[in-house]
Amino acid sequence: MKLIHKLEPLWWILFGAGGFTACFFLPALLLGVLVLAPQGLLGDGLAYERAHLLASSPLGKTFLCAVISLVLWHCAHHLRHFVLDLGGHGLEAVAAFGSYGLALAGTIATFAIVAAL
Amino acid sequence: MSAHAPAAEKTRTAAARPPSGFPFGFYRYRNYVLFAATSVFMALGCVGLLEGLHALGQGPEAWNAWLARMARPFDLALSLVVLAFTLYFAIRFGWVGRKIGAGRIGPVPRPPLPMPVLGVAPIGGFITLWLILLAILGGLLP
Repeated sequence: MKLIHKLEPLWWILFGAGGFTACFFLPALLLGVLVLAPQGLLGDGLAYERAHLLASSPLGKTFLCAVISLVLWHCAHHLRHFVLDLGGHGLEAVAAFGSYGLALAGTIATFAIVAAL
Repeated sequence: MSAHAPAAEKTRTAAARPPSGFPFGFYRYRNYVLFAATSVFMALGCVGLLEGLHALGQGPEAWNAWLARMARPFDLALSLVVLAFTLYFAIRFGWVGRKIGAGRIGPVPRPPLPMPVLGVAPIGGFITLWLILLAILGGLLP
């Protein structure tokens, strides 16, 4: 746990950046990709060719990696502290390693999936 | 203090404990829990986006199959719940942000704007960005 506490400024930077990123971009991404596109309400906007072109461009890849990984780190830090609120400091190690471990796994998966586009 | 005096014992702190009634006893606690729950749903939304990107990387058939799966009622309902929690997070984030703009700390005077206006400004900025991003996703902007 000493390392986790030592790295607290890093968790806070990722938490803050992820919070802002989530506010700026996540609602529109979720609405467009998870709700409107599957219902056919975006026309050809997210048809395969265009969606692939948008996501596989250098700007698109950077954007997707930044948004998804930062939001995951934000959620991890928020969850870590919420678990402490609910379960007390007996769960400190589980909360920290569990949530940051999932965020790290999600970040690696994001970079691997986006790189393969 | 004498050089021979014993070293002072380190002050021990009491073990942390939740406030009375936590987590559902009072509306402020419930709001706090609701705000914390946004993390679970936003992470779920990211997993959904990753799933979509993975399908996109597999080719047109996989992408169209993923879109068809996401159009099913259960997946649509889950996506709407995820979206609702994400919107709640963003709006609450912007609404809390107005207190930063108010500058109440120390001798700094409050700005000549009412608090609700300071809250509407960041939320208005968010909505503008969302509309631009939706226009890009919808093909209205390149």
